[in-house]
Amino acid sequence: MLLMSNMRTNEEWLTELRADDTKQEAAIADLRNLLLRTVLFIFNRNLSDLGTLARDEILRSAEDCAQESLIAILNHLDDFRGDSKFTTWAYKFAVNIALTTARRERWKGVSLDQISFSADGALFDRELQDKSSGSAPDQSVMQDDVRDIIQEVIAHDLTEKQRQVLILMVFHEVPMDEVVQRLGTNRNAIYKMLHDARRKIKGILQARGFEVSETLALFSTQK
Amino acid sequence: MKGDRLDKWLKNIYATQQEEISCTECFDLVSGLVELEARNENVGAKMQQVKQHLAQCKACRDEYEAVRDLRRLEDQGEFPSLDDLQDSIH
Repeated sequence: MLLMSNMRTNEEWLTELRADDTKQEAAIADLRNLLLRTVLFIFNRNLSDLGTLARDEILRSAEDCAQESLIAILNHLDDFRGDSKFTTWAYKFAVNIALTTARRERWKGVSLDQISFSADGALFDRELQDKSSGSAPDQSVMQDDVRDIIQEVIAHDLTEKQRQVLILMVFHEVPMDEVVQRLGTNRNAIYKMLHDARRKIKGILQARGFEVSETLALFSTQK
Repeated sequence: MKGDRLDKWLKNIYATQQEEISCTECFDLVSGLVELEARNENVGAKMQQVKQHLAQCKACRDEYEAVRDLRRLEDQGEFPSLDDLQDSIH
């Protein structure tokens, strides 16, 4: 089905959304429809995250997400630089809100209390280390060295916050938005912590003589 | 951590740059990247930084992939209607 939204140019979108007449009403209605479809598209792709919700709750949540993204877009119209189609620019607001909502729903009842942040215990699977015994002895020893160095950096060279975020996200695959919510912070701060942690680990691995290709070859041969 | 994930993570560690853009900067620029890629145009240095961020950040990467897919569906006239999308929610 062909919608009006596909037929507006970027200029028309901006002019009509900023207008003060029935044209604005029509543009907002079309944009809302587009955003609701975007949210439902995302929800459909992530239905397993919404497993505990009834159908009408999902549809209501989609309406809320669409409304929230509509408001965000109208508040950010001045930020649109025209470096993409207006609709592409608009999708990202709805996608961001819908994915965050779906992940939050998925992790709602999950307790993270059992996760240890001491990093003194083994972070890497025993099973993995046993498996690697099939490789040449030298290689196996070097793999252990890399793991030991990483574990040591995590235990001694990271701040408590960096260690906590790294263990949650890298070792337990907790999504960023969930970590953001539980630690009461924002994505930029979490990304910075992980970036700093990666920089430290990279620097120390290289300082100990483990260069890129050599280290990656050590581990990619295990498959 | 399983072997293939360790392999991936090590790649991310070695691909770490001294300076990386934030999630907010990535969000700001990502629609421009989707547009350039959809038109098969070369991406400049700033967009390389966006791609570097996307390789490191799953949250931003998931969003980028969804926006890219939506743009493609729209171009092909295949973005499902509201009725179809509502019907497919069980």
